[in-house]
Amino acid sequence: MYKEALEQFNKPWLPLTALFIFVLVFLLYLYWTFKKENKHIYDYSSQIPFEDGVKHE
Amino acid sequence: MSSSSNVNRTGLLETYSYDDQIVRMFVFATIIWGAVAMLLGITIAFQLATWKMNFGLQWMTFGRLRPLHTNAAIFAFCGNAMFAGIYYSHQRLLKARLFNDALSRIHFWGWQAIIVAAAITLPLGLTRGKEYAELEWPITIAIAVVWVVFAVNFFGTLVRRRERHIYVAIWFYIATIVTVAVLHIVNGLSLPVTWTKSYSVYSGVQDALVQWWYGHNAVAFFLTTPFLGLMYYFVPKAANRPVYSYRLSIIHFWSLVFIYIWAGPHHLLYTTLPEWAQTLGMVFSIALWAPSWGGMINGLMTLRGVWDKVRTDIILKFMALSLTFYGMSTFEGPLLSIKSVNAIGHFTDWIPGHVHAGTIGWNYLLIAGILYFLVTKLWKTEIYSKTIANIQFWMATIGLSLYYVSMVVAGITQSLMWRAIDANGKLVYPNFIETVVKIVPMYWVRAFGGTFVFVSFLLMGYNLYKTMQQGSVGIEEVYEAYALDDSSVEKNATQHRKLEGLPLVFGVLSLIAILVGSAIEIVPTMLSNHYISKIDAVKPYSPLELIGRDIYIREGCYLCHSQQVRPMVHEVLRYGKQSEAGEFIYDHPFQWGSKRTGPDLARVGGKYPNMWHYRHMLNPRDVTPQSIMPIYKWLVEQKIDYATLTRKLQVMKQLGVPYSDAQINNGVMSAQTQARTITEDLMKSGVPAEVEDKELVALISYLQRIGVDYGSLPKSN
Ligand code: HEC
Repeated sequence: MYKEALEQFNKPWLPLTALFIFVLVFLLYLYWTFKKENKHIYDYSSQIPFEDGVKHE
Repeated sequence: MSSSSNVNRTGLLETYSYDDQIVRMFVFATIIWGAVAMLLGITIAFQLATWKMNFGLQWMTFGRLRPLHTNAAIFAFCGNAMFAGIYYSHQRLLKARLFNDALSRIHFWGWQAIIVAAAITLPLGLTRGKEYAELEWPITIAIAVVWVVFAVNFFGTLVRRRERHIYVAIWFYIATIVTVAVLHIVNGLSLPVTWTKSYSVYSGVQDALVQWWYGHNAVAFFLTTPFLGLMYYFVPKAANRPVYSYRLSIIHFWSLVFIYIWAGPHHLLYTTLPEWAQTLGMVFSIALWAPSWGGMINGLMTLRGVWDKVRTDIILKFMALSLTFYGMSTFEGPLLSIKSVNAIGHFTDWIPGHVHAGTIGWNYLLIAGILYFLVTKLWKTEIYSKTIANIQFWMATIGLSLYYVSMVVAGITQSLMWRAIDANGKLVYPNFIETVVKIVPMYWVRAFGGTFVFVSFLLMGYNLYKTMQQGSVGIEEVYEAYALDDSSVEKNATQHRKLEGLPLVFGVLSLIAILVGSAIEIVPTMLSNHYISKIDAVKPYSPLELIGRDIYIREGCYLCHSQQVRPMVHEVLRYGKQSEAGEFIYDHPFQWGSKRTGPDLARVGGKYPNMWHYRHMLNPRDVTPQSIMPIYKWLVEQKIDYATLTRKLQVMKQLGVPYSDAQINNGVMSAQTQARTITEDLMKSGVPAEVEDKELVALISYLQRIGVDYGSLPKSN
């Protein structure tokens, strides 16, 4: 019934815009993540959980 | 381990300590509420196996305890566990104490107070009648306030961090905090009638759209994203090796955020989209399906190389199984959203089966691993008994398997019976109760499976308690780290510096994009009441029917009964004319339900005489032998509440229901007149005249009205 109700919604450009934004931003993010230059950031970041901090004597 | 961030740093060397006491408090709360939630779960499971377990007590009936069970499991058990895990990891990942100790305490006690309020109000029948958002408006507001306290504390800590990079777990936490706030507020909007009663500002289809946008995303952002964040912290910690692929974890994060927001409404919107866009949207969704599995693989692969440890280390064991269930549920979820599968699974026990594979398999097992980790760390000791933990592990696994298998079998069996049509085009099982009786054995299996899970949890509680006893809290240790300044940016190039600043900027931009995108997507929902075509025959409820409807909501009838006939041959044969959007415009809140433990009621109005309902509500077995519906005998003892009626009608009018002033002013009189008419009819069958001012009469008036306005119109299409 959602479907029947929404069939009467006649502004397809709205969801289209949303879809466009989502796809675009997601692709940008993919590009950013897989860029070679960023590798050191990931190597560094993945070690963060193991540094609980240096104990103060 | 590696490149300490303290090398070559010029900033101020600061000392600090972690607030672990607050984590301990949340650990306690998790254990206590977890046990309560599961005890409630098995109670209602046995109630479905045998109606006698309702004990004829109103505050113990299925319809009232079921919301308490779901709220306790999601918000009390998983909520407290999530806060414990977040507060422990957040401080350490940022090398900073929580922003403010007092805020932490307000957060803790505020949350517990809300849970206690829920445990009191829900059994009393005070409910908004919307699944997983049942708590009445003062409590709903309190939740928003405590959530803001949590957010301030969380982001305050982020601002004061001594670690420049924000570890991926924290991204998951951020998504949780922001999204849950939005969901809770939008779905919570209602107009109060009294301190304990309110009406949703949305009605019918619109209310349903908002509700399930909330429901869908609540699962994603309360039970999934925070726990994935915890997984990305605690699994590497417990295995003592970094996450398998940090890149994959980032992709996992973004795709989840995108998938959940897009995946909800996009199925619905397909109808108005041009073909190419539909294809793109579908490809997009399917392409995004993979990363959920990427997440699971990422977690499991983190354990590669320590598989021998997984066999012996109970913490890793819990985590590994939990990740497996995460993979299973995220596979089954999209499967259930495929139209043809959904047609079979919807309204059946398959759904509770699916849900519990997630909540028990993924959430409880992961929480078990995290709790053992936290308690041994925070009480500086070893697990008291590995044997008990192992027994717990196996009991939980066996219990969950029994639960899941019995529910899938029950769901599919019943669904096939519902839809069976013989050669003459008639229903093979026209009596709904036949399809219920068939699966009652499965309800027993489920109840015993649940009991296994509950006992496993008690074992853990005992084990953790003994672990705490043998350990000791000790004094807060002091750590040192450099305050953030330019020197925390790597020296060699300005190029680098730019890059390092970017993830944050980019992250924020993406969040904005998502917010804009979802805002646009929610527009059709928000506008839906403008383009749903009105049906002239559909009129507002009479004052007495409105009171009856509130009783229907109070008793949680919607948790066993749907009010929506789907456009399928067998449904139309069984229940009558298919439902139309325009029928529900005065339904604040909508009552479509999500589970058919009993038959659909969308066309029940006029189906039976008043006397049938009278007998049925007092003892369902009187008219339908073998029924599993509870007895509602208090409805002939409690008086109709006429005192709030005028106010109810006024609020409905404010919400757009076209009651005239005369109708509102004469509301009580008109209700009493209608009650008399029904009572006179009942008296013909020997019912005493005293029932005239009792709640059952109001409920009957409502039941006799459901679906009548449109249902009685001559067929147009
Ligand atoms: C535990 C689940 C459960 C709850 C809660 C429940 N019911 Fe039922 N109901 C059933 C089952 C099962 C049947 C089918 C057997 C029967 O007729 O009793 C049924 C049947 C009915 C029928 C007959 C429908 C028909 O078309 O034959 C009505 C009316 C009804 N219920 C009303 C209610 C109302 C009103 C409430 C809330 C006060 C309620 N039920 C709560 C399980 C439930």
